Amino acid sequence: MELPLAFDAQLFIQLTVNGVTLGSLYALIALGYSLVYGILKLLNFAHGDVYMVGAFIGYGVLTALGGPLSLDIALVPLIVLMFLAAMLGSGALGVLIERFAYRPLRDAPRLAPLISALGVSFFLQNSALLLLGAGFRSYDSFLLGSNQPELFVPGPLVDPVFVIHGVNVQTIQVVVLSVTVGLMVALTLFVARTQLGKAMRATAFDREAAAMMGIDVDRVIASTFFIGSVLAGAAGVMFGLLFSQVFHLMGFLAGLKGFTAAVVGGIGSIPGAMLGGLLVGLAESYAAGYVGGRWSDLFVFGILILVLLVRPSGLLGARAINKV
Amino acid sequence: MDTGGTIPEPPAAPDERDRPRVGVDEWVAKVEERRETHRGLAGVAHRILRFVPPPARLALFVVVAATLPLWMGRGDLFAYGIFTLLYVLLGLGLNVVVGYAGLLDLGHIAFFGFGAYLYALLSSEQYGIHWPATATVPLVVAATALLGLLLGIPSRRLLGDYLAIVTLFFGQAFVFFVNAANPTVAGKGLTGGPNGIADIDPLSFFGYELASRKQQFYFLLLAVALILTGLHFLSESRTGRAWRALREDPLAAEAMSIPVNRLKLLAFAFGAAIAGFTGCIFASVLTAVTAGNFGIPLLITIYAIVILGGVGSLTGVVIGAIVINMSFQFLAPENPQDNARLLFYSLIILLLVLTIRPLWKLAAVFGGVVALGVVVERLVDALAPSWTGGVVVEGGRLAGAVGHWVIIPTGHGRFANVAYVSLVAAVLLLTRLRGNARIVALVPTIYLAAVVWETSFVEQPAVARWILFGALLVSLMTVRPQGLLGTPRVEIV
Amino acid sequence: MKRTLVLAVLTALVAAAAAVTAFGGNAGSDGSGSSAVPAGSDSALIRCGRTRTIGVAAPITGAAASIGSQQLRWARYYVTRYNASHRTKFRVVSGDTQLPDTAQAIQVAERFASNSRILGVVGPAGSQEVQVSSAPFRNGGLGYVSGSATRTSLTNDGSRRGYFFRTVPNDDQQGPRVADYIRTVLKASRVVVIDAQNSYSTGLSDTVEAILKNRGLSVRRESVSEESTTDFSSLVARVPGDTQVVYIPWQLAPKAQLFGQQLRAAGKTARLFGSDGLFDPDSFKIPGSLVSFFPIDLKSKVIAAYRRGPGKGSSELFGLPSYVAADVVVRAVDKACRNGTATRGEVRRNIAATLIPKAQSLLGFTVKFVKQAQAPLAPGDMQRPANFGIYQISASGAYVRVS
Repeated sequence: MELPLAFDAQLFIQLTVNGVTLGSLYALIALGYSLVYGILKLLNFAHGDVYMVGAFIGYGVLTALGGPLSLDIALVPLIVLMFLAAMLGSGALGVLIERFAYRPLRDAPRLAPLISALGVSFFLQNSALLLLGAGFRSYDSFLLGSNQPELFVPGPLVDPVFVIHGVNVQTIQVVVLSVTVGLMVALTLFVARTQLGKAMRATAFDREAAAMMGIDVDRVIASTFFIGSVLAGAAGVMFGLLFSQVFHLMGFLAGLKGFTAAVVGGIGSIPGAMLGGLLVGLAESYAAGYVGGRWSDLFVFGILILVLLVRPSGLLGARAINKV
Repeated sequence: MDTGGTIPEPPAAPDERDRPRVGVDEWVAKVEERRETHRGLAGVAHRILRFVPPPARLALFVVVAATLPLWMGRGDLFAYGIFTLLYVLLGLGLNVVVGYAGLLDLGHIAFFGFGAYLYALLSSEQYGIHWPATATVPLVVAATALLGLLLGIPSRRLLGDYLAIVTLFFGQAFVFFVNAANPTVAGKGLTGGPNGIADIDPLSFFGYELASRKQQFYFLLLAVALILTGLHFLSESRTGRAWRALREDPLAAEAMSIPVNRLKLLAFAFGAAIAGFTGCIFASVLTAVTAGNFGIPLLITIYAIVILGGVGSLTGVVIGAIVINMSFQFLAPENPQDNARLLFYSLIILLLVLTIRPLWKLAAVFGGVVALGVVVERLVDALAPSWTGGVVVEGGRLAGAVGHWVIIPTGHGRFANVAYVSLVAAVLLLTRLRGNARIVALVPTIYLAAVVWETSFVEQPAVARWILFGALLVSLMTVRPQGLLGTPRVEIV
Repeated sequence: MKRTLVLAVLTALVAAAAAVTAFGGNAGSDGSGSSAVPAGSDSALIRCGRTRTIGVAAPITGAAASIGSQQLRWARYYVTRYNASHRTKFRVVSGDTQLPDTAQAIQVAERFASNSRILGVVGPAGSQEVQVSSAPFRNGGLGYVSGSATRTSLTNDGSRRGYFFRTVPNDDQQGPRVADYIRTVLKASRVVVIDAQNSYSTGLSDTVEAILKNRGLSVRRESVSEESTTDFSSLVARVPGDTQVVYIPWQLAPKAQLFGQQLRAAGKTARLFGSDGLFDPDSFKIPGSLVSFFPIDLKSKVIAAYRRGPGKGSSELFGLPSYVAADVVVRAVDKACRNGTATRGEVRRNIAATLIPKAQSLLGFTVKFVKQAQAPLAPGDMQRPANFGIYQISASGAYVRVS
């Protein structure tokens, strides 16, 4: 463990920028977990694999339109297309999973949907392995859109938009951040203002009563899964654009972190998921930067366990009231 | 109120699944639950089990298992015999925590790993300590139980899914500690880092070393029998009943002055002790341990065993372990593919026989599938020979028949992928259809399944078995959510 | 009720039949367990028919799937080419060792050892897997040739002599070569060594760090989990701006590529030096970087054909030593089978006496195994001139041999 001797502002800012970017990704995944848990009290372990499918759909669009080094269309419409395709595809997949793997288990003991989710996860991961092979697929985001990719001239995605204290904030980081903020604002408005959002809140509060009030619970649950999966699909494409490499097991790792973020922020709470994601991203970034190497992951876990021990229902989680 | 002289019917349930209606007597409400337990094949199993008392079940299991080394080769004994018993032990340990006490413990594998590493430290070349098993095993079990207690203490405040997360962290923390942290103790890395600890001694009791696979297998069998007996008595005892009360309704249990916190700690400690014991055996059988042995995939497998077998049921755990490990090993790439093929087709035939009622419909489906296959194969062969040019991989006994029935293209790389995706879509569609439409749709779906099997699955058996495993989990859970031998639970509004 | 009973009996019968066919057929022609000479063993005589079998143990699924599937493809490719040009045919039985879970590796080893038709094994891939597989293979008398297990102690401790061979140089050969190059040719004085928290990587990192520190260079050691890290920017921040060389003995070329790109994006100009795991012209292409690998002929027809065929567009060179390993095993089996029967012991002795001339070897040098130990080589390692070449990546991403 090597701690810096003096407070290095540049390092701190670099790590903060990294952490916020990473945190946005985790927050989007965590939102999917929280939404589903709020309504069904189900931990959807297949959510990470929906994210993986989104990333692969984005890759598919990229390859269909010429591949990273020889694009057929301009960069901006390409990115928009990738996002749209991945979001719609993931959303559809989420609805399918709910329909076939979770709906029959709606009244089952709590552990049955868990196993079903794990089964779906295995199925998705290994289907990707069967269909596409084990190799990493690259978005090549460093060179994407570059006018001279053979000479390794970086593309516009990594160009700095602005520089703070000597730290480059890249275009792609700004894009990721703004899309995340936009999606979260849209989600919050949706849940607070629209009728479907109100129905979702009602169903999350008390499913039986909502059914009695005439709310179509099946449709509400399907919409919840759709929204959660759309966010995951967007996160998948963002991951590809930020870090280039997509592979069949990426959902497992990210899903674990997203799940952690959801719980730390208070599972079932939307602002909690956002906050939790940010916290996990920042913790990971600072730990890797300051602690480094062997102890960094342990450090992250330590922080998170501490949070949970101090506030057992998460940062913004509702205090569980047991009605007798 | 004048209703014209007739008494109105109570309103029908909102959907076709029977649910207890508000205001209805509890015994009446449980009618469905009682009926569920007696339905179908699992119902038969249930009735047999009720007929056979636990000691007889255990005796039967031990006798059948003891004959395994007589007809299984060494490799098969290891993969099917020893590993199934290891999974049984792990499942039993988890069963105490999840099944008896109802605590969602996602870090259980860390106890297993702790036990394995501690045994490795005490009986290997790592520090030159070579204590006999009579000394190390009790020590490891006690130490792991203590660790379980320690984990249980902060977990008392946490409920349900928060407990899951903290235990998950603990599990991950253990893996990182062992793999990456690897502190230097007495001049050496304590846990060997990514290399782990190697050259672990086999278990030796009073000078008798368990070196051969047969000896290890019999020792494991003995251990399983003893632990099963112990757990049975435990579950029938006051503690066991208190645990069940805690699992069903923690609030009511507390109101009945059951010491809930103490029970939770006890469950953790017991489960950890069993896991630690299994860790010792695991380390000695493998002769080397690394962090990769104790990751999430193993955790998922053990959970699947416990839940598929029926949470809380000892026989269920044993059956779950047998079913899951056996099928997993059977579908392994090391097993000649003609065996897996036999299993695949037998299962399809069995499924059809089980689910299609009138005999003539069954015959129609069989005939239809065979006829469809032959016709398609002949047609395609005549029109585009490259589409049937492929070879039946590892044909064995069925190569000839299958070759004339299924189209196996060569050189059309995309075909396998398209066929696979179509199969998934077809199967999902099949679950939505009813009656005769379903039976008609079965014919092309089965043929498509055979095509996918012959073109993709036998080429990549290692991946195929995971896909089938995942599909098995999903279908088993949707068909029977309470597991094979669990009790279906009905929520009272 | 009667029907379900009938069906239950039917199910049990099917299960029993399946079990009998599976176990009965698998344990070998002369019975299992109860016979005097166990079915798969050192001296059991096997009739070599027209089809002979070798085993390939690799991590086909799991976290290391990208490595294992490459090795399996290359080994299968050798067998395909062999079968196309010979009358006798070879068959590959694969085993999924699911690195990093060594419990699977030992199961695969046990089942291979029991399968009396298997005469030799290619694999396993990881050094930890070799460790757990040693006892089963020894008990079964099987020789095994690995295309990627580089830990020096595997051959140097002598316990696997005659059984374990490898078609890759060990860590103690690669390390000093790299350290020498960094010191004498690159003339660097400030170096950062980053290990990937796995067995392969820490071995090499330790060796290089020790040698360079001994010679007075300033060496900083970092560590990252290459499998699970997706964002290397924090690691990049820890690399001092004035570093001249960053040594990354990793196995996942795409991760190294990402790290390199983030390093460049942060404005740091340190030169990257990768080990043989990163030799992948399709994935690792940071200009100016160096990679150590065999002195292979990149223009070889075999590599080009692989790229068109099983490789589906990529050369997957990490798996190339498994092709050579398959070559070694197949030649040994052929030699043993010349008189119509063979034993596993015979195959092992033939492997130890392997001689593949340079013209037929894909590695760029004659393949022979060492007979006498002389550090850092021991029986099981390849003889000199088996050593590494140093390649540099040009501005257009092409690999050019510079040493």
